[in-house]
Amino acid sequence: SEMSQDMMPGPYPRTPEERAAAAKKYNMRVEDYQPYPDDGLGYGDYPMLPNKSQYERDPWYQWDQPDMRHNWGEPMHWDFDMYIRNRVDTSPTVVPWHTMSKHFLLFVSIMLIMFGVGEIYPSYRPVGPKQYPFNDLYLERGGDPNKEPPAVIHYEI
Amino acid sequence: MAWAPPPSAAKLYRPNAYVSLPAELDPATHDTSPEKLRAEAERLAIRSRLKRQYLLQLNDPSPPAVIENPALIRWAYAKSQNVYPTFRPTPRTSFLGAVYGLGPLLFWIFVLKADRDRQGKRIQEGKLKQPPLSVFF
Repeated sequence: SEMSQDMMPGPYPRTPEERAAAAKKYNMRVEDYQPYPDDGLGYGDYPMLPNKSQYERDPWYQWDQPDMRHNWGEPMHWDFDMYIRNRVDTSPTVVPWHTMSKHFLLFVSIMLIMFGVGEIYPSYRPVGPKQYPFNDLYLERGGDPNKEPPAVIHYEI
Repeated sequence: MAWAPPPSAAKLYRPNAYVSLPAELDPATHDTSPEKLRAEAERLAIRSRLKRQYLLQLNDPSPPAVIENPALIRWAYAKSQNVYPTFRPTPRTSFLGAVYGLGPLLFWIFVLKADRDRQGKRIQEGKLKQPPLSVFF
C-alpha cells in the first residue's frame, strides 16, 4: 500500500506532541487516546481501547461493515479478531458474574467430592463368584467325555 | 419472623473483568455533563469525516479496485511488524519468556523420562508383557 511510515504504528509516545500526533494518526481524540503502558511487551503506541466485544455495539446503526459492526477508519481493538461476533462476547449477563461462578464452582466441586468418596468407599449389593452348571462346564471346556467329570455341587441342603 | 428484602440488582452486579456492566447500572450512561456532550460531538465529527471519505470512495463512478482500510493496515502492522522494534527486555518479559519458552519443554522432558523409567523398571521386574508381534526387524 502507499501509506507512508509516519502513518504506521510506531514506538511508545513520550512527549505530549508525540501523543497528539499519534491520536491524529489513529483518528482518535487526544483525550480518548491512551496507549498501552510502556512495559516493553511490544504494543508500541497502539491505543488501548475498552475491552468490549463487537456484540455490544448497536445492531441498528448503519455500520460500514455490518457483520463486524465496524466503521471504515475506526481504530480496531488489539484483540479485534477475538471480539468478533463469532467469538468472545462481553455483553452484560442476566445474573452477576460472581454469582454464576460461585454456583458453578460449588456444584462442580461437590460433584467431584462425591465421586471421589464413591471411589474410595464403593457400595453395591453383596456378590459371590459365578456358579456354572454341568460340573463347571466340564464338557464345554474340553473335558474328556469318556471320563467321569469331578462332581461340583454349588448348593447345601 | 421477617426476612430482609433481597438485595437489589445494582448491589449484586459488581464490575468485573469478564463482562461489561449493563447500561442501566453503568454510571457513564447517566452522565449528561457538558464535557460529555462536547466529547460525543467531537467523536461524531471524526466519525462523519471518516464515513464521508469511505462513501466517496465507495460511490465513485470509477472506484478503486480495493478500498483499503488504513485502520486495518495499521492493526495488522502493529500486531506483526511493530512488536519486535518496540520489544524491550525487562525483568518481567525475561521471566515470561523463560516460562513460556522453557517451561513446557522441561515439563515434558521430565514427564516422559519418568514414564519411561517406570516402564523400564516394570520390564526388568517382569511385570510388563511385550506382545510377540514387532514392526521392527
